Amino acid sequence: MQTLDDIKPSYPLFRMDEYKGTIGRKREKFEEVHDKQKVADTFAWTTTKEYQDLNFKREALTINPAKACQPLGSALCGLGFHKTMVYIHGSQGCVAYFRTYFNRHFKEPIAFIADSMTEDAAVFGGQKNIHEGLANASKLYGAEMIAVSTTCIAEVIGDDLNAFINNAKKEGYIAQEFPVPFAHTPSFVGSHVTGWDNMEEGILRYFTLNAMEGKEPGKNGKINIVPGFETYLGNYRVVKRMLKEMDVSFTMLSDPEEVLDTPADGEFRMYAGGTTMDEVKDAPNAITTFLMQPMGLDKTKKFVENTWNHEVPKLNIPMGVDWTDEWLMKISEVTGKPIPASLTTERGRLMDMITDSHAWLHGKKMAVFGDPDFTLGMVKFLMELGVEPTHVVCHNGSKRWQKQMDKLLASSPYGANGKSYPGADLWHLRSLCFTDKPDFMIGNSYGKFIQRDTFHKGKEFEVPLIRIGFPIFDRHHLHRMTTLGYEGAMYILTTLTNAVLERLDEDTKFLGVTDYNFDLVR
Amino acid sequence: MSKLTREEAQALIQEVLEVYPEKAKKDRAKHLMVNDTSLESSKKCITSNRKSLPGVMTMRGCAYAGSKGVVWGPIKDMISISHGPIGCGQYSRAGRRAYYVGTTGVDTFGDMCFTSDFQEKDIVFGGDKKLTKLMAEIEMLFPLNKGISVQSECPIGLIGDDIEAVSKKVAAEISKPVVPVRCEGFRGVSQSLGHHIANDSVRDWILSNRDGQAFEKTPYDVAILGDYNIGGDAWASRILLEEMGLRVVAQWSGDGTLAEMENTPNVKLNLLHCYRSMNYIARHMEEKYGIPWMEYNFFGPTKIAESLRAIAAHFDDKIKEGAERVIEKYTPIMNAVIAKYKPRLQGKKVMLYIGGLRPRHTIGAYEDLGMEVIGAGYEFAHNDDYDRTIKEMKDATLIYDDATGHELDEFVKALKPDLVGSGIKEKYVYHKMGVPFRQMHSWDYSGPYHGYDGFAIFARDMDMTVNNPCWNMLKAPWLKQDAAALQQAA
Amino acid sequence: MANIMIRKGADGYVFYMPKRDIEDQITSLEFDTPEKWGGEIKLKNGGIYFIEPQTAPERLPYSVRAKRIDGVE
Repeated sequence: MQTLDDIKPSYPLFRMDEYKGTIGRKREKFEEVHDKQKVADTFAWTTTKEYQDLNFKREALTINPAKACQPLGSALCGLGFHKTMVYIHGSQGCVAYFRTYFNRHFKEPIAFIADSMTEDAAVFGGQKNIHEGLANASKLYGAEMIAVSTTCIAEVIGDDLNAFINNAKKEGYIAQEFPVPFAHTPSFVGSHVTGWDNMEEGILRYFTLNAMEGKEPGKNGKINIVPGFETYLGNYRVVKRMLKEMDVSFTMLSDPEEVLDTPADGEFRMYAGGTTMDEVKDAPNAITTFLMQPMGLDKTKKFVENTWNHEVPKLNIPMGVDWTDEWLMKISEVTGKPIPASLTTERGRLMDMITDSHAWLHGKKMAVFGDPDFTLGMVKFLMELGVEPTHVVCHNGSKRWQKQMDKLLASSPYGANGKSYPGADLWHLRSLCFTDKPDFMIGNSYGKFIQRDTFHKGKEFEVPLIRIGFPIFDRHHLHRMTTLGYEGAMYILTTLTNAVLERLDEDTKFLGVTDYNFDLVR
Repeated sequence: MSKLTREEAQALIQEVLEVYPEKAKKDRAKHLMVNDTSLESSKKCITSNRKSLPGVMTMRGCAYAGSKGVVWGPIKDMISISHGPIGCGQYSRAGRRAYYVGTTGVDTFGDMCFTSDFQEKDIVFGGDKKLTKLMAEIEMLFPLNKGISVQSECPIGLIGDDIEAVSKKVAAEISKPVVPVRCEGFRGVSQSLGHHIANDSVRDWILSNRDGQAFEKTPYDVAILGDYNIGGDAWASRILLEEMGLRVVAQWSGDGTLAEMENTPNVKLNLLHCYRSMNYIARHMEEKYGIPWMEYNFFGPTKIAESLRAIAAHFDDKIKEGAERVIEKYTPIMNAVIAKYKPRLQGKKVMLYIGGLRPRHTIGAYEDLGMEVIGAGYEFAHNDDYDRTIKEMKDATLIYDDATGHELDEFVKALKPDLVGSGIKEKYVYHKMGVPFRQMHSWDYSGPYHGYDGFAIFARDMDMTVNNPCWNMLKAPWLKQDAAALQQAA
Repeated sequence: MANIMIRKGADGYVFYMPKRDIEDQITSLEFDTPEKWGGEIKLKNGGIYFIEPQTAPERLPYSVRAKRIDGVE
């Protein structure tokens, strides 16, 4: 029973004897549970190499994925444009899921709308939904642009967005001049990363494809930045800051930094900041376009190269030291602006931090999971720190990703024991964490279940999760941090080092047992 | 400002509807009403369970969410396959807080995601072969599972797959129940049809599996239906039923198991908490097995005591005495909780917009704390839910069905409640606006809220949110001064 | 035609139509003998339905097909 001065939520309430009793009786009398020994034996079997071999033989079943579907990505992309309402053509449940997923990660309101296709639309096609949906959406939310993408229902029945939207305009459901860029984003192709790319290309195409007259690369003296599926708000900020310090003018092509970080001051803002239509229209006049996550931006790259005639620089995600160096030097090269002292100093500070912390990181084994460019950047930086990446899992990684990752791992002695796993999920990673235990794993919140499973085998088998990635649901405000540039490297370095130190404290906090190495100074 | 007359409330609804285009305005008007407690039936005053308008920001989910997320997902010793593309399974993984205990990945599977991750070729050539193979892989890697359910995502119903045939074939091979569920997201207008479809699939593929088999009955056997053990709700309810002398044979479906479902036809009485999502199976068991059912409400001491007595009325004196004993045992701590929190919450106004039963079921708990619910609405209710709600709400309060973001915002701005209880999609809007907010789907990562132990947490949580100092600090002091100066000048 | 369920309530028969969420008191049932049961059903809300007259069901609740004649839906 509760007591007034110590009201207990589920934990520790259910650890009280009366609840242990009721939950235990339920188990024993009504659940027909398997014999305890059998459960323990089966668990032990799931940790073996034999089980891993069976596990890796899977062809049809996906268990505990580390990717999401296209329209989640298209929605994030659309959110980054000024006064733009994200509109999903398809079932409403999908949109409820996208919103919830982002709500949980960003702890921010997320305004997306659906056109609620139901059984009749599945039979007769979704044109009526688009017509009525655009009519309502354009009047209700004060949007200046509506970015349309699709869920799988619309894709399976073959709805033609271009025709439907044109008809909506012809028939007066929405004003002729109201901008409605669109992208087909079938959830049975690619992942959220692909969806982001498709929506970006759709928006760039809509505003520039037939307006290229008089446009030429370099005319406006700016550079374009394409962030890709980027969920760290600090990454938008750090890129802007670095470019400002370099005195380079730029256009961020999708910039949700402000709308995902509005103040609590008594007013709800559905829109804030974002890339304007004029900026998009002017984007072909930039010197060139930088792709922050080049692995996942094929379609955008092709469009920018073929239509805008930009020579897209061959670069990697600017994560860690080398790849940030290269990124800055390339910016300097194409703009003719020197890298300022402030950034040189910042780099020096990062190097200073690395010299301070390297001893705690050198030789540590870390597994990594996440999106294609994220895993590449993280592995690169880990090797710069002397950390040994072990299992690198990229559920939405292609053969091309694997080739690049293998090449990267081969480039450093610290990558010698690293192995890439394209298309693998977190149940595969679970097996790997049992049979070839890394010291830590780096990834999103879903990794916590692997940590629990490895801990269940015994404390010495536990693989602690370091939370860097998307989504992070179970820790607060980490999405505001930075992982790109020198600043991002500082955050990653700090996070990794302190994870190692906290773990060491946890392992040595036994009074009268491990009094050594429980140090005040480290 | 928060207490409106009937005319003012009507005017507010009209005003809120103003922004809609004509057709949408006409439609939305039918979903908003001013409560009139003298009404017998809600039918003439509010329309519900209709399609949401395209392009209008609904909070609703889909049939898949109702089936996989709500009804089937929590059955812990069976594996639910999210059959179709990757997203649905990923988004609905482990977020609902339907608690259970077990060795996840070995004999229980609640927090996991199993999906067929459809690719283009599966859409073109069909997914039945993949489904068959996938089930074999499940059997190989998870031998202790008790059965499988196939939760259909949108494409399944569109490409002509025969998941029923696959399920029958595999069930025969593995000698375990394999349940095909046609809960494609485009079916129906909300989660609600998914609940119904899930109920029907349990009826057709599970419920009668043990008919004719021996079961050691007692005269005090009951089942809890429609409790998903959010934050441990069902456990905090179960403990009270046991304490009054009843034997809880099954929990549907929070912390539930296949065996419990299969044994339910043996109980004396079905206890139904979430009417919306499980009345179907209760009615079916009444017809087929002659098991009576009753709705109950375990939110707040007043409703709990009423419910315990109503439940006991179906049994003999031993149970009736048991109910009184339980009420007596918990009354002192409940009085203490109320004595502590009521003075801090007295007179505070609440607006609710939630799912299946909570907009009406939690009213009593708020009233126990001296709070008043001035607006209530449901994402996916039917008219029978509104019939029940009209009686719980005071006159001239607002009732809203499938409310849009715009409507809720405007109602809140006009009524200025001290607390809004709704879901995560609404939560951060109100944080920005400076309105104290509790998530009432997931208990805001707290709970349980059911039962006597749950009420103590409920009271604590409402107090911490309503009375947290942050709400008064949102405006920068220099802006406050400016505003005051402006007002003075005017 | 739609499926309805007829149950015994505290004050006589109760009508339930899941498809329309109509649950209401039955105020009159045209035939209510063991041999002949059914016919026109009048509800408290004014609705009128018809079920094919048949021998009375052995026990309630009982699911049966009904036709709407008149009244609220």
